[in-house]
Amino acid sequence: MKKYVTIKITAEPQYFDLISGCIWNDEVEGIIENDHFLEVSSYNTSDEFKNEILDTLSQLKNNGGIADYSVSSTIGEERNWNEEWEKALNIVEIGEKFAIKPSFREYENKENRFVLEIDPKMSFGTGEHQTTRLMLLALEKYLTPEAKVLDVGTGTGVLAIAAVKAGAKSAIGVDNDEWCLMNGIENIERNNCQKEVEILLGDITNVEDEDFDLVLANINRNVLIEIKQELTKKTKTGGKLILSGFLENDTQMLLAHFENHFTQTELLQQDEWCSFVLSKNY
Amino acid sequence: MAKKITGYIKLQIPAGQANPSPPVGPALGQKGVNIMEFCKQFNAKTQEKAGLIIPVVITVFQDKSFTFITKTPPAAVLLMKAANKPKGSGEPNKTKVAEVTKDQVKEIAEMKMPDLNANDVEHAMSMIAGTARSMGFTVKD
Repeated sequence: MKKYVTIKITAEPQYFDLISGCIWNDEVEGIIENDHFLEVSSYNTSDEFKNEILDTLSQLKNNGGIADYSVSSTIGEERNWNEEWEKALNIVEIGEKFAIKPSFREYENKENRFVLEIDPKMSFGTGEHQTTRLMLLALEKYLTPEAKVLDVGTGTGVLAIAAVKAGAKSAIGVDNDEWCLMNGIENIERNNCQKEVEILLGDITNVEDEDFDLVLANINRNVLIEIKQELTKKTKTGGKLILSGFLENDTQMLLAHFENHFTQTELLQQDEWCSFVLSKNY
Repeated sequence: MAKKITGYIKLQIPAGQANPSPPVGPALGQKGVNIMEFCKQFNAKTQEKAGLIIPVVITVFQDKSFTFITKTPPAAVLLMKAANKPKGSGEPNKTKVAEVTKDQVKEIAEMKMPDLNANDVEHAMSMIAGTARSMGFTVKD
């Protein structure tokens, strides 16, 4: 697991805005603000990184910008921080075909649903979020038998697993997060679909295969726009592209990016979250 | 009946780029909040502000649900952006390596007004100009 550093800066709260604004750089992951101290997190555990922060603070003090302060640091190791939340996870039934359950809960399958066993750890996709539900509702409606499926930003692998359980011939799930690779593989094993589902670490350009009958991407507006050409390329003519992860306000803007090659088949919505089903014309 | 609040978490993270890395993961995880759901919502709601640092205050309820509000970026971040400069001057009193105009200070002051303890824009401008000088920036007319 990756190591990270937490640098604790104790100072008067009135200086927090100035301090935090001045120490930001590309290697800072984020800052926590407490009543009397700031905690700066970074994966750069070198002395150089810490010294840069110390230099900045010293300059601010010399310049009269801040008063006294103290600094300490600790090294930590990444782990599954979602453990506490996972304990409260419940079974989610979606549409007419799917039910998602964590491995530690029993489910009585009275309606003969496809039951997906998903332990999320630090990945996205448990069926609790509106966008996952929208994707699964669209999947149950538009998945064709023996389809070849690509799931971009696969997270827990939930959509790829759902696709093969519901009749797809094969599915590839790709995600650029290492947690998702590990967690996706665990989940496909848990659901006995290692033969049909492959999880890849990387982005959509790392997928060599093309001509997918169905391409799924539940990410966010900016990333969907960024990878629109690849999404178009991977979807075969006559195939479907299902997008989610964006808000109601973004639907028209997003659609404009895809309408050269696609026709909108359906727009699904739950609360403020939306999903498009697009059909590829050429 | 209103839900019982169990705590607040104050973070600063880049707009549209929340992920479960520290500090988001550990801070939310220890309160039992669904980290990935927060990231998804935060990123969707701040995607227009890409490139800025966004302070966010998360309210956590007893049932582990949450809401959050975002605030204006730290003045120092806005000043560096205005001056097109990644960091403050190393020797602020000796070498003025960056400049911001009074108009830029006014623009930042107006943007920061909701989060500043200022009576009016003039007052806010003097606070922002003070921050600029602490960073080694010159404010020119």
